[in-house]
Parts: sequence; structure tokens; C-alpha cells
Amino acid sequence: MIECPSCGRKHRPGTLFCSECGVYLPTGGPLRTEPLPEEELPVSRANPWASEPVEEPSEPTPIPLCIRVVATGRQIQLPATAEVHIGRLDAAHGIFPDLDLSPDGGLEGGVSRHHCKIHQRGSAYLVEDVGSANGTFLDGQRLTPYLPHVLKDGDELQLGRVKLEVIIRE
Amino acid sequence: MNVELGKNEGTALSWEILQSQTQLCSLYQEQVLYLLVEIRPATAAPGERLPLNLCLVVDRSTSMQGARLEHVKEAAYQIIDGLHDDDALAVVTFNDRANIVLPSQPGASRAYAKAKISTMSASGGTEIFQGMQAGLAEVEKHHNEQVISHMILLTDGQTYGDEEACLAEARLAGVRHIGISAMGIGEDWNDALLDEIAAQSGGVSAYIASPGQVYTFLQERVRGLGSLFAQALTLELQCADGVQVEALFRTSPYLERLTLTGSVANLGILQADAPLAVVLEIGVTHKPPGEHGLLQLELAGNIPSLGRQGDKLQHDVHCTFTSDEPPTEPVPPAMRSALSKATIYRMQEQAWHALDGGDVKGATRRLEMMATRLFDLGEIQLARSAMLEAGRIAQGGAPTAKGRKELKYGTRSLTIASRRKSYD
Repeated sequence: MIECPSCGRKHRPGTLFCSECGVYLPTGGPLRTEPLPEEELPVSRANPWASEPVEEPSEPTPIPLCIRVVATGRQIQLPATAEVHIGRLDAAHGIFPDLDLSPDGGLEGGVSRHHCKIHQRGSAYLVEDVGSANGTFLDGQRLTPYLPHVLKDGDELQLGRVKLEVIIRE
Repeated sequence: MNVELGKNEGTALSWEILQSQTQLCSLYQEQVLYLLVEIRPATAAPGERLPLNLCLVVDRSTSMQGARLEHVKEAAYQIIDGLHDDDALAVVTFNDRANIVLPSQPGASRAYAKAKISTMSASGGTEIFQGMQAGLAEVEKHHNEQVISHMILLTDGQTYGDEEACLAEARLAGVRHIGISAMGIGEDWNDALLDEIAAQSGGVSAYIASPGQVYTFLQERVRGLGSLFAQALTLELQCADGVQVEALFRTSPYLERLTLTGSVANLGILQADAPLAVVLEIGVTHKPPGEHGLLQLELAGNIPSLGRQGDKLQHDVHCTFTSDEPPTEPVPPAMRSALSKATIYRMQEQAWHALDGGDVKGATRRLEMMATRLFDLGEIQLARSAMLEAGRIAQGGAPTAKGRKELKYGTRSLTIASRRKSYD
């Protein structure tokens, strides 16, 4: 018997799709974010200490943050919440990111279900990789997971292979 | 992977048969093998298409009043404009009884036909059998092997008490090689009945969500009929001992679960411009090492444009059983893509089955899983519908008739509508 890596249901040898959850059994995908080849991703690492320290203003002023998906041209106004999660929706496992990149080729592009988050501190926006499989890149430099970096207007964010443009307009 | 091409000489049909594995293991008590059968014309169809012999059977019950009937009229005008001089078109309306609006006649004046259709008005109840009977009588007037005879049934309501008579009529049409396309408009119609009418006659059934889509559906259907290459296609499956066909799906040009009557599946028509694909899931019990024949496939069909009847192709499926674990064979992408869609369709069937059996939790889980798979395929709209219905059920509500139909017919057309070509 072979076991479904996603839901654990047992199947007869030779079965290709799990009848319970629809997963392709030989690879356990496409639920799983496949690692992309190293050469397809930028190599340099961002220095978390290089960016200017963020000042804590007394009164935070909300500034609208927009994300534009470069390949599809889709532009999304992010909700004005303290934290915005970006990733790939997986309803079966209860993963509902605020910005779902599935329609923009997120799966093929190597976007993890939990990929990164953007949060606001004062008037600045910070991006933080949350342990994604293929990494988050800011202007071509790979971010160290769980270390926030400041975002500026016009910055290029790359999640796996999917490129996003950051638009911050006051 | 094993590729087998149709090589029987002198037939106008060709096929390609892919196996998920060519080697099976003798250690297992039971294992699964998949086959993908892709059927195509072997020769080009003659340039000129065969004459069409169509009948439009339209529900004119009170609920069709307004936009629905107006859109049907508009669509009928467009069909008339697209007909050739030797095509025949009849129009029948029905409520509690049938009314022949336009009797079948090849080369009838277009202006006359349109004027007749413009008089259709809505009132009364819905008795599908009345319409089917009158419609088939019209088709029979000019039916022979040199024309493409087809009936298109459009309804938006439930018929009461005459379901059995409708199915008997559909079976009769199937035997006479008259296909029936059964189309339901809106939400309140009996999908099980229309599916069965279509399946029995070798036609298709479809869900038309809004009146504005009537034209697109009719146009697509008439175009499909115009490109018909072969009809009355059947696939016969002779299994060896310990081999069983467990599921059978048509996966192209649209998705449908096929049923076996004895050992024969009715495949309907083959269009010249779209291959007909069928996937089989086969259970195989333990066999000693060595080569074994598992099953024999026989495809038969008529090719009216070439005046040929009973063209046949045969193929034997073999597998080598090994005493150790055989090496993993790559799964052909076409098979993976076809199976992924059939799997989603099955999940949808299982969800409703669970719900009808009172298993709310199981139904919710399946709909959510299905939504995930649909999101993976980029089918955002369908995935949202699945989530919406799952939410509704989880909170103790009933699924909406609209959602249920949307999911059933939406997953069925995945093979056509999918924006991404492959599964990955």
C-alpha cells in the first residue's frame, strides 16, 4: 500500500491521485512547493544591518501600499492591517494569505503557502521572509529569514521566481 | 510508459493508447493501472460537411417568460443564418403539450423560419416527454445515414412523472443514431435526468447559468455537429481474469463519467477538430512473474461522410509482472493532466454523495480539498464556488442549487476551459 503524503490515506500500488484530497501521489505535489534550481535565483544576500534604522514617530500615519505583479500586471492594494501575509492559498489546510499569488503562477514560481509578510512600523513598511522554500529577494538580494527589511517605493520583491513591484505613494 | 498506435489497416479511425505502467509487481495482491485512449480521425474529412438535420425543442413554460425565451429566439435566428441550404431545421415548443412551431424542411425560407420562431410565447407547465416525442418525430422525417441528425433540448424546469418515458425516448434516439443535447437554463431543473437523456442518446448535457449564454452554447453545439467525423462510437472492453475496469471517464473534448453496459461504453461522436480521450482505471489482482494479457479494447464506429459503417480498431493491453519491485516509469503528461481533472470531478461527486448520506463533515472536507485543487489549476471562480458551498454546508445550511450545478458542470468543462494547459 502507498500512503498519501498529504492526508495519509492508503492506496493500492500504482494509484496516481489520492481519491480523498486529490494530491498527485508520485511527488506528493502540487501541494508542496518544489525547490527551484539554485542557478535560477539571485545569489547575493542582503545585509540586514545596512539599511537605515527606522525611527519611531509618535503618531503613525497610514500610507497606502500597493503591490504590482510584474508578469501579470495585477495590482493589489494591500489591506490596512498591522500585518499582511503573502503566499499561496491552501483551503484544505486552512492557509488563507492576505495576498494569494496562486492566480499569478505562484505554484510554478515556487511561492510557498506561507512565504513572507509585510508589516508597518511607524511610517515604514518592513518585509520579512517567514521561512519560505525558495526565498524572498529584495532588489536581487536574498533576505535572511525572519529578519525584517525596509521597503521603499519602486523596490522589486521576488518570491521564488515571482517578481513584485512595491508601490508606496503618499 | 507504453505508446501503442492504431495500426489496423483500412480504417478511418486512429488511436493512441498510453499505459501508466508496462511492468507490474507480482508481490502485490492488488494494484492499479491506468490507460489513456486518444481517438482521432486517421484521414482528413471531406471538405464539405454533411447536411444537418436539427430540431430545437424549447420549453415554453411560464418560467421561460422574458429574457430566457427572448435569448432562445435570438440564438435560433443566429443558427438559421448559419445553416446551409441542404440543412433541415425544425422548432418544437412544449409546456403541458407540444406545439410544432417550424416543421422540419430542408432549404426552408430563412425569413419564414424566423417569423415562425418570433411567435413563441411562454405559458403553462413543463412536460419534457411531450416535447421530446414531437421533436424526435420531426428529426425522423429527414433522418438517414447521410445526414447528421440531432435534437437540442432546452429547459429551465422540472418535469414530473414522465422521467421514465423521457429516458425510453432517449434510448430509442440513441439506437437510431440521433444524438440529444440537453441544456438546462438557470438552477431549477433536473440535472440527473438531463445527464441521463444525453448519455443514453450519445449526446451531451450542459448548464446555462444565465440567459445571455444561450447563444454561445447553441452556437458551440451546432459548430461541433458540423465538424462531426464519426458517430455511434463504442468501446468494448474484454477483461482477463482478475482484471476489472473500476472507473471510466471521457476527458476530452469534455469531462464525463461513462458507464459500461455489459462490457460496452457508448462514446457518442468524434469531432474532426477535437480528439476524443478516455481514461480507464483498472484494478489488477496478483499474477505470477511473466507477461500477461490484461484486457482487449475494441473501438467501433460509423463515418457518415465517407459512407463507412462499423469501422473497427483492436488492441491488447499487456503487462510484464516482475518478482521484484519494477523501476518507476514516468507518467505521460497527457495522462496526468486527464486524471487530475477526473479526480476533481470525482471529489465533487463524492462530496454530494456524502452530503446526501448525511455526512456533513465529509462533504465539507471534500469541497475544501476540491477548492485547493481548483486553486492549483488556476480555476479561481470555481474554487470560490466550492469554498462558498463548503462554508454553507459546514454552518448547517443546504448547498444552493446554483452552486451545486456550477460545480458539477464547471468541473466537467475543466478540460476545455482550463486556462493552464497542464496540471503542473
